[in-house]
Amino acid sequence: MGPRVLLGVTAVGSALLVVTTGRLVHSALWLVVTLGALAGCYLLLAAEFVAWVQVLIYVGAVVVLLLFALMLTRAPTGPQLGETTGNRALAAVVAAVVAIVLVTTVVAGFGGVRISLDDALLGSAGSTGEAIFRFWVLPFEVLSVLLLAALVGAIALSRPVGHRPGGEGD
Amino acid sequence: MPLLFPLVLSALLFAIGTYAVLARRNAVLVLMGVELMLNAVNLNLVAFDAYLRDVVHSGQVLTLFVIAVAAAEIGLGLAIVLAVFRSYGHIDADRLRALADSDAVDEQIADEQIADQQTVGTEETAGGPVPADVAGGR
Amino acid sequence: MSPLWAVALPLLGACGVLLVPRRWARELSAAAGVVTWLAGLVVAVPQLGAAQGEAVTYATLATGAVPITLTLSVDGLAALMVLLATSVALAVLVYSVAYLRDDPRYPTYAFLVLVFTAAMTTVVLADDFFVLLVGWEVMGACSYFLIGHFWERSDARAGAVKAFVMTRLGDIGLLFGIFVFGVAVGSFRISAANDAADAGDLGATTATVAMLLVLCGVVGKSAQFPLHTWLPDAMPGPTPISALIHAATMVAAGVYLVARLLPVLDLSSVASSVLAVVAAVSMLLAALFALAQDDLKRVFAWSTVSQLAYMFGALAVGGYAAGIFHLMSHGAFKALLFLCAGAVAHAVGSTSMSAMGGLWSRLPVTAATMGIGLLALVGLPPVVGFFSKDAVLGVVVDAALHGGSVTDWLLLVSSAGTVLVTAAYALRAWLMVCFGTPSAAVADVEAAAHEPPWLMRGPLVVLAAVTLFGGLVLLSPQVLVDPSDPDTEFLHPEIAVTATLAVLVVIGLVYAGWRRSGRRDPAGLMPTRVRDFCAREAGFDEGYDRAFARPTSRLADGVVANDRDVVEPYVRGSAFAARGMGAVLRLAQNGNVQVYLSAAVVGAVLVVVAVAAVARVVGA
Repeated sequence: MGPRVLLGVTAVGSALLVVTTGRLVHSALWLVVTLGALAGCYLLLAAEFVAWVQVLIYVGAVVVLLLFALMLTRAPTGPQLGETTGNRALAAVVAAVVAIVLVTTVVAGFGGVRISLDDALLGSAGSTGEAIFRFWVLPFEVLSVLLLAALVGAIALSRPVGHRPGGEGD
Repeated sequence: MPLLFPLVLSALLFAIGTYAVLARRNAVLVLMGVELMLNAVNLNLVAFDAYLRDVVHSGQVLTLFVIAVAAAEIGLGLAIVLAVFRSYGHIDADRLRALADSDAVDEQIADEQIADQQTVGTEETAGGPVPADVAGGR
Repeated sequence: MSPLWAVALPLLGACGVLLVPRRWARELSAAAGVVTWLAGLVVAVPQLGAAQGEAVTYATLATGAVPITLTLSVDGLAALMVLLATSVALAVLVYSVAYLRDDPRYPTYAFLVLVFTAAMTTVVLADDFFVLLVGWEVMGACSYFLIGHFWERSDARAGAVKAFVMTRLGDIGLLFGIFVFGVAVGSFRISAANDAADAGDLGATTATVAMLLVLCGVVGKSAQFPLHTWLPDAMPGPTPISALIHAATMVAAGVYLVARLLPVLDLSSVASSVLAVVAAVSMLLAALFALAQDDLKRVFAWSTVSQLAYMFGALAVGGYAAGIFHLMSHGAFKALLFLCAGAVAHAVGSTSMSAMGGLWSRLPVTAATMGIGLLALVGLPPVVGFFSKDAVLGVVVDAALHGGSVTDWLLLVSSAGTVLVTAAYALRAWLMVCFGTPSAAVADVEAAAHEPPWLMRGPLVVLAAVTLFGGLVLLSPQVLVDPSDPDTEFLHPEIAVTATLAVLVVIGLVYAGWRRSGRRDPAGLMPTRVRDFCAREAGFDEGYDRAFARPTSRLADGVVANDRDVVEPYVRGSAFAARGMGAVLRLAQNGNVQVYLSAAVVGAVLVVVAVAAVARVVGA
């Protein structure tokens, strides 16, 4: 009971800090905390492999990428007062409504259901790998092509002006 | 554990992510919000996988796929953000209004079309004059 | 030979004139005139004096009630008219080659003259009312275009519109008259209408109504009172046109129509009386107006109105042969007079009589032929005008003396007066143009005046010869008489002698007046009030302008203002409203992506909620 609640509260709290803090880099760092808490939740749900992949890729790569982007776009350090736009009232309302709708739906649908973790299939690397390469090969291959496309696209988009063929401006 | 626990957590995370996407000024922070939403989805998938005890582990496998796609997406998204920064000098979502439809934008487009017609024939058309919606946001 | 050739050949010539290169247009038009004249000879000469024509039907158009047949027929009357029309058209086309030598619009001019000739032959050859009406209206259209030939002149444009509008006004009556005929007789054939009248199948009331309506069109086309004001204003057109259209053919079409429908007119004493009154008023008024005019062509125009009234007077009392004889002779001598006026204008540069004088010595041929024409107008022997005027006077006197009504006596008095006034204005015109000493400024112009080229003098000489020797037709009068009345007398010795003496007295008086006025203008001796009355043409034009033209103009202005101020704001308002709504809706497109996304998310949430609610309601 304890770890569950702790992890949950950590995740929500740090997520709230991600979206409200005025310092940009702090926002990225609180994101790390959120992602880490979620990795812990995966562990509790018998999904080991997923948890470590989460840490590896999300915390390790994605956040680093975000920090690099903040650096390259000269994100100002120090607290920024206007980091949230005038849309925030509407956004808060929308978010609240989304939350209420989803929670209500979920509660209505799965009110008294319990997960029995004793009989759970462990999501170890071995079993996950087996599942992927036995039942999910085709999506896996497509995914690799997707990653290649993203890679090429990112390179193409990030070339500086003047190095494009034909000398096109951006 | 009650299934509700991870589900409610994921719903809350999703809502918080929505708030970030809709309310944050810096484009990178908007992308962080998108990441939060994706993670909420992942949690949902894993929870159902555990509840349904799926033999093919579809929930966890799909989570892995979502993580991969998210990585690809954030790479491309940040490349776009960098391109925008290079063109406009800022990545303030509130100030990027070139797609607006208004009389001022119409007149600007008309002026630039007239200027284009006057210089036609003296320039190659591929990679020709800078399109109005890119140059107009400064 | 089928009578259709007389219509088709001038039309072919007309198209040809437009298609050939410009430098051959003149020669081609003259050639087309010759061909048309020959075709007219072939069609008409065999049928001169024929009682009934052979009707040739080319097509029948079913209308659901009374069919319209495209029928042409050549009888004695039609033959005479065809000869008149084609001969004058030939003279005019030859004359125009020289008169309009430098005109840049010659091909259209020749085209219109040839189309007009085709239309005139259609009118006279038609045996179906609607075929006649088509020719009638085409003539009116050609007249409009030709009067406005020199459209740079505002008086030409105005005259063309006035002619067209006034004749069209009369044609409304003609159209309804045709409908009455169609309903009463059961056919639109003219010969059917005449046969019904002869056989007694046509009631007097029907005949009256039909003839009164037809008379509306006739009064318009032949410029009789009250629609008489357009003819003098049509004079700004080229002089050959005045000769062709406004002297010999188009205005004579009205006389032709009345002569053609004479059996029906005889059935209706009301219509005959109305025609007699109209003729009486027109002939005297027009003659008086001619007495005080300064423009030579205008004098001849009023003279035409007066002489047409003469013919109508004869027809109103049933004198078919007299009316037709005067129509033919007038066609010849009035065309001659107008062409002479054109020759004088060509020499001197204007048609104003006060700018002429003493032209006898410089333009002998023109002056001599003009003298012959005026002699015919006055009606002195031995020219054809003497015989035709005598014939008309004969029938009028006859009708008045033998049980004549008030209108017949009125006609007689008016005719007698007109003879005297006609002599006066004719002599005045001749004296002012050909004799006397011109003023110094005019003398300079006249010193350079010379005879027109032979292409112009030729038609003058030919027409003068016809006028001089035309009286010889009385040697074989069967070409002129109405077959139902073969014993018409053409010579009335007592009337002839009386009229000639009276005319000579008038001539003496006018000549004396001319000498008194210093050999300038005998009309200067008229009392001022009378002179103004004649010169202003009794103010008819101003009256019509105030009663009809100006209110219509103001109505048109009102319509324009209504469209601009009342109707258009609605149109512009709807455009404005659409733009305004668009501007309002545009506010949502402010370019901010986060606003767009918020809207999308709200929409998605609402859809989910709606689906859940519906599912709950349906499931419950």
